[in-house]
Amino acid sequence: MSDFRGKGLAALRAEIAALETGGRAESGFLPFGDLAVDGRLPGGGLPLGRWHEVVGEGLEGETGAAPAAFTALMATPLATRGEAVWVFRRDDLLAPGLIGLGFPAERLIQVCARDEAEVLSVMEDALATVGVAAVIGEVADVDLTAGRRLQLGCEKRGGTAFVLRRSPFGGQARRGIGSTASTRWRVRSAPSEPPAGEFGLGAPRFRVDLERCRGGRTGSFLFEAARPYCLETTDGAHPLRLVADLGDRQLAPAQPLAA
Amino acid sequence: METTRGTRRIAAVSLEAARLKLHPGQKATDAFAIAPELTTAEAEPEADAAALAALVDWCVRYSPAAAADAPDGLYLDITGLAHLWGGEAELLADFQGRLAAAGLPFRCAIADTPAAAWALAHYGPGGTIAPPGGQQPALDPLPPAALRLDPEAAAQIERLGLRRLAQLFALPRGPFAKRFGKAALLRLDQALGRSGEALSFRRPPTPWVARLAFAEPISTPEDMARVAFDAAEKLCARLEREGKGARRFELYFHRLDGRSPSVVAGLALPGRDARRVAKLLVPKIEAVDPGFGVEVVTITASEVETLSGRQVKLEGAAQPAVEDGLAPLVDRLVNRLGEERVWRAAPVESHVPELSAARVRPLGPATEARTWDPETPRPVRLFRRPEPLDGVIALTPDDPPSQFRWRGQTHRVRRAEGPERIGEEWWKREIEDVSVAHVRDYYRVEDAEGGRFWLFRAGLYEPGAPAKWWLHGLFG
Repeated sequence: MSDFRGKGLAALRAEIAALETGGRAESGFLPFGDLAVDGRLPGGGLPLGRWHEVVGEGLEGETGAAPAAFTALMATPLATRGEAVWVFRRDDLLAPGLIGLGFPAERLIQVCARDEAEVLSVMEDALATVGVAAVIGEVADVDLTAGRRLQLGCEKRGGTAFVLRRSPFGGQARRGIGSTASTRWRVRSAPSEPPAGEFGLGAPRFRVDLERCRGGRTGSFLFEAARPYCLETTDGAHPLRLVADLGDRQLAPAQPLAA
Repeated sequence: METTRGTRRIAAVSLEAARLKLHPGQKATDAFAIAPELTTAEAEPEADAAALAALVDWCVRYSPAAAADAPDGLYLDITGLAHLWGGEAELLADFQGRLAAAGLPFRCAIADTPAAAWALAHYGPGGTIAPPGGQQPALDPLPPAALRLDPEAAAQIERLGLRRLAQLFALPRGPFAKRFGKAALLRLDQALGRSGEALSFRRPPTPWVARLAFAEPISTPEDMARVAFDAAEKLCARLEREGKGARRFELYFHRLDGRSPSVVAGLALPGRDARRVAKLLVPKIEAVDPGFGVEVVTITASEVETLSGRQVKLEGAAQPAVEDGLAPLVDRLVNRLGEERVWRAAPVESHVPELSAARVRPLGPATEARTWDPETPRPVRLFRRPEPLDGVIALTPDDPPSQFRWRGQTHRVRRAEGPERIGEEWWKREIEDVSVAHVRDYYRVEDAEGGRFWLFRAGLYEPGAPAKWWLHGLFG
């Protein structure tokens, strides 16, 4: 690929991105620090100032433990930078559990809403607030209008929203017809591997399908929490580490995109 | 009419009955002997108390510090408030006028101390205003019963020929206390302001109050929203002048019919921005029924703290101040959803998992407890009630289960950690209630699919007794 062509492509991409955001500046990206993931995401990382969907599978669709843990890990860099708000209808989130994953749960503001609409409106309100970097909400479904409103809320201050799809109280999860989310991650727990010669459980692992990715490509990954249950403070690296790329078995490595 | 110790007695009398020399405490038979045409009704102490409480609430239009004096009186602390009406006499006249208009019989008095005011209201000429520091001359002609003594003590004092308080005031303190008891001396001191008296106010008294009165009653929602802002501005200007901020604002609408509904706004951080306070109050005003109109609004501020002025930042700071973003957000959420629905988890020094995190006010001061230990793994989701497991296959006494069923699905355990023994907090309970059956042995297990569970066996292992297993949380 010639340099000229690369530049042309980058310019074209920037133009399209500007069209997509309606002229507003991009809020940046949060790289995972591994090309196998970042290469599939537009701009080389998780797009900020957008909203992302995290979905569980089977029983997890109701208990929402693996999606919550994965989202907490994904949002940790944002939550340490600014404020974080978690909105839900069932208050079964345990702060010490989030601390163990490295999420600053002692600063997290938790809001228990009364119904689905209220979860979304509280999320919108939080996104419109200066200083709030990450908003995590647990809802059964986000329809197109609600999704659009969330997106507008994200763009207002550049906050990033994560929507955990969780069916309420054992009911059947509604199937959305479409979604305006920037990305959708389907998360399952995966068997952990303790280091050689050690007993017990290893670092939590997650089998993650990037089902939908606006401006990027989908893929499957096996993530591991990089520093679970230890005192060590974050050294700037992303709290999720890629263990293996289950991907679509492309032989050629993903092309790094010009920033 | 009430029944005490098997005797029907009169509890309260009307003015007409009083003219016939009927009095409370009289036996019903005696009363009927005097006035055969007497109409009686059963006494309703609960209804009386409720009516008194309503009256005390109504009195908030005069002062935020109102205290009920059961069964039939109330105190109003009007310290520093009389100027709002143009003086104590005008306040009293207004008060009397309104009570008379409501058809309530009353006697009232103003004095330096609650005890003196009580004495003057019950035994003095109606509507007395004792000048500051001058209640003794006003009290002098009253009978000893005006001191709120026990009936026996009062009777004894009268028997000794002391018929006026002036005679009591002249007695030396030592012998007085010896003869009539310490309680009597205390009452005497309270009347003269030599000893304090604690009143239990219906609401915590606050000196932070502002009041707006209107020439014409208002009732439209727009007007009510506007006066909410005006009242807030008036109070906030005073807070600003004195370098204070408040956390809680309460706005009362005093309606023509004597009721006074109120709305409350809470702030996460002490503040005095009238616009913000009004913004939080206005959405709640919709629910207030103005009735025939509102003639007075009062606003009170509580949880007042010293608040220094904010320094204006010259250059845009990287980290936005908490007052700019988070505090208004928390205020909005708290006022919309309620205080108990917005919180921040604070560490509690307890090893019991469900007690280890407490809910605190989102922007309150940091707690002193150490933060949670990140090295002990805890689940992300903790069930409020542990869920029972069946079909558990586990080697006793100490091994983790190798298989269990939860919600109809069988999970084969691949890896496990534990046990972590968590006992109850025996030092917080009666020693008889403490039992080894409350011990829980926790295991962190992972099934073949990778699901990570936190389960425990209740109680100590006992040969022969089947172990009870529970699932308490999910790590995800």
